[in-house]
Amino acid sequence: MLTTSQARRWRGLAALAAATALLAGACGSTTPTTTPAASTPAGQSAEPGTSEPAASGGYTGPPVTIEYAIWGDPAEINSQKAVVEGFTAANPTITVDVTVADWDSYWDKLQTGLAGGAAPDVFAMDGPLGPDYQTRDVLLDLTPYIEAEGYDLGQLDDNAVKDFTTRDGVVFGLPRDLNVIALFYNRDMFDAAGIAYPDDTWTWEKLVEVGKQLTRDTDGDGTIDQWGLYTETTDMENAWSSFVWQAGGDILTEDGATSALDRPESAAGIQFLQDLIWKEKVVPDPAIFAETGDAFEQGVAAMEINGSWLVPTHEAAGIKLGIAPLPAGPAGKATSVNPTGAVVYANTDAPEASWLLARYLASPEAQEKIMALKASVPVNKEILATSYPASFDGAQVFADSLAFAHLKPAFVGYNEFATILQTELDENVFNAPNKTAADAIASVNEELNGILAGGQ
Amino acid sequence: MVLGLAFLSAGPILATLGISLTSWDLLRAPELVGLDNYARLVDDKRFLMALRNTTFYTAVSVPVGLALSLGLALALNQAIRGISWIRTMYFLPLVTSAIAVGLVWAWIYSPTSGLLNQLLGALGVPAQKWITDPFWAMPSIIAMSIWQGLPANTIIFLAGLQAIPGDYYDAASVDGAGRGGRFRHVTLPLLTPSLFFTGILSLIGSFQVFDQVFVLSRPGRPTDATITMVYFIYENGFRNFKMGYASAASWVLFMIVAVLMFAYFSSQRRWVHYQ
Repeated sequence: MLTTSQARRWRGLAALAAATALLAGACGSTTPTTTPAASTPAGQSAEPGTSEPAASGGYTGPPVTIEYAIWGDPAEINSQKAVVEGFTAANPTITVDVTVADWDSYWDKLQTGLAGGAAPDVFAMDGPLGPDYQTRDVLLDLTPYIEAEGYDLGQLDDNAVKDFTTRDGVVFGLPRDLNVIALFYNRDMFDAAGIAYPDDTWTWEKLVEVGKQLTRDTDGDGTIDQWGLYTETTDMENAWSSFVWQAGGDILTEDGATSALDRPESAAGIQFLQDLIWKEKVVPDPAIFAETGDAFEQGVAAMEINGSWLVPTHEAAGIKLGIAPLPAGPAGKATSVNPTGAVVYANTDAPEASWLLARYLASPEAQEKIMALKASVPVNKEILATSYPASFDGAQVFADSLAFAHLKPAFVGYNEFATILQTELDENVFNAPNKTAADAIASVNEELNGILAGGQ
Repeated sequence: MVLGLAFLSAGPILATLGISLTSWDLLRAPELVGLDNYARLVDDKRFLMALRNTTFYTAVSVPVGLALSLGLALALNQAIRGISWIRTMYFLPLVTSAIAVGLVWAWIYSPTSGLLNQLLGALGVPAQKWITDPFWAMPSIIAMSIWQGLPANTIIFLAGLQAIPGDYYDAASVDGAGRGGRFRHVTLPLLTPSLFFTGILSLIGSFQVFDQVFVLSRPGRPTDATITMVYFIYENGFRNFKMGYASAASWVLFMIVAVLMFAYFSSQRRWVHYQ
């Protein structure tokens, strides 16, 4: 249950009525247009003459319909459909049915579909959950296609490619977009307080200092009306994994076989989040906003540590948004990157068309469309270096942050690991300071190692 | 009907028994492991929590729910003007989706802007964190479930009440029975078939509680305090790739409910009076 974007999950649920309507409406197919068949997907090195297993460029097989399953909010769904239209325009004999679901039912449907032998041909995959599927013979090995046409994986963000490649070098899917964590700030609140905007010189100490200055009881009734900083505590991605890395710790050991959370540096990172809430009191008690959602979006927090996917949400809320890199911790700068990608079903009837769609999604042409939404950081290096940084104010920060980003851990048993760990942290560290981070980790670390051992 | 039962119920139940003896991730071929899953359940802290929470949920929500719906049925069993409108109002929760109900209650329980804390605040009671508080989480879910289950039981009680002939009450009055006497000696005995029926439905339903927990147990909630048997089954089967383990838990749940049902039906002769 604990994965990428908890914010998305809740927004999805809250907008269930809308989502249900969309489910009914969005399952329609993107029919092939009458555009000339000669156009090829951009950005691929053509290798003339190769036809096995897939010729570079346009699709050469018989007319086929493939299903592309994704999760997402309405804006993301529209963006993905626009991308798919570009693909079918270039490959008129391929029809793509885009099917969508909210985060929870997406995985239920996918697993029952895979178990019943009726899974989508291409489906979205969350980085951390990848290994659970890679190791279960349900994904198509794309290596033959990549080798046949000399597809260069180096054109995509290296961290992101890692999530879709096994330790043995088998490529299961291609990354589609990136989720990167940064520091959002409300320009109006900083201006009103006469405080300089956050920049890349910031440290943990500076964050606490400014956080205190901006945490205020504006009407003098004894309760805080404006918080210095807001973040989500319920998943490692939103803030605390970055703190762990900034403190010099890690989630797993280098070989991925055991938990590294019991290192003092790792505990220090988690402890920092507890201190921000309960000692420095610059981040609200998580219970306060558990029901109502993002305090920054509501205009009652001056800063927020969270992911790139929130940019359009904050802009739509009318926040005068500024974006800065995460402050440096005792061990320097660090942030979290988590890719979403497209994988192909092992028993698809249309492997070539499915590969072409996955490849297209990572192409510069598709990436420019995905990036226009502002919610996703492109995965294609060319776009990351050229058009993305200037595409909106703050995009440059996300692009630059990739240089010190750590990949959100991905391993077999991720969900179970995260549930056990996060239940303990929520109950005893973040929701109430019952234990120090080190004590909480000590009480679950053995169980976490057991889960990791079970997945080997 | 029998055929339908065989295919739709007995088939899956037996299949689940078979799956519970395997290690199966839903995606690859299952592997026979004998009773390993059952042996592991006994030591699984999270499973024991789920068992304890579900028992607590049932022990509170069934009796309180039945008592409240009986009271409501008595109140609605009046020949006053506009009674059908009043009844309709009370039956609204029945036709509202669990998700919508969950969202509204999430707002009611909100620690800062929630209705409940504002009401209590007006009475001078300090604000509580309700669903995020490990102590209050389960009672909060129970309150919501009772509210939601109220109309279904009330309809059955109301039908039972209206089936009691007025003559009986007249005869009881002639014999000198007061309000309380009429309730104890006429209403309650003649309502026992309805009580039996609502009791069995509530009991089964409460052991299978899932929707309310699923909706209210968003990330960050103390799931240790609210995880139920069916949630545990869902979590293992669909999140942790442990369908065999989940099936074993399903069978434990099935056996618990079956034993309770057997005891319940055996007790029928002693307290249920058919006219």
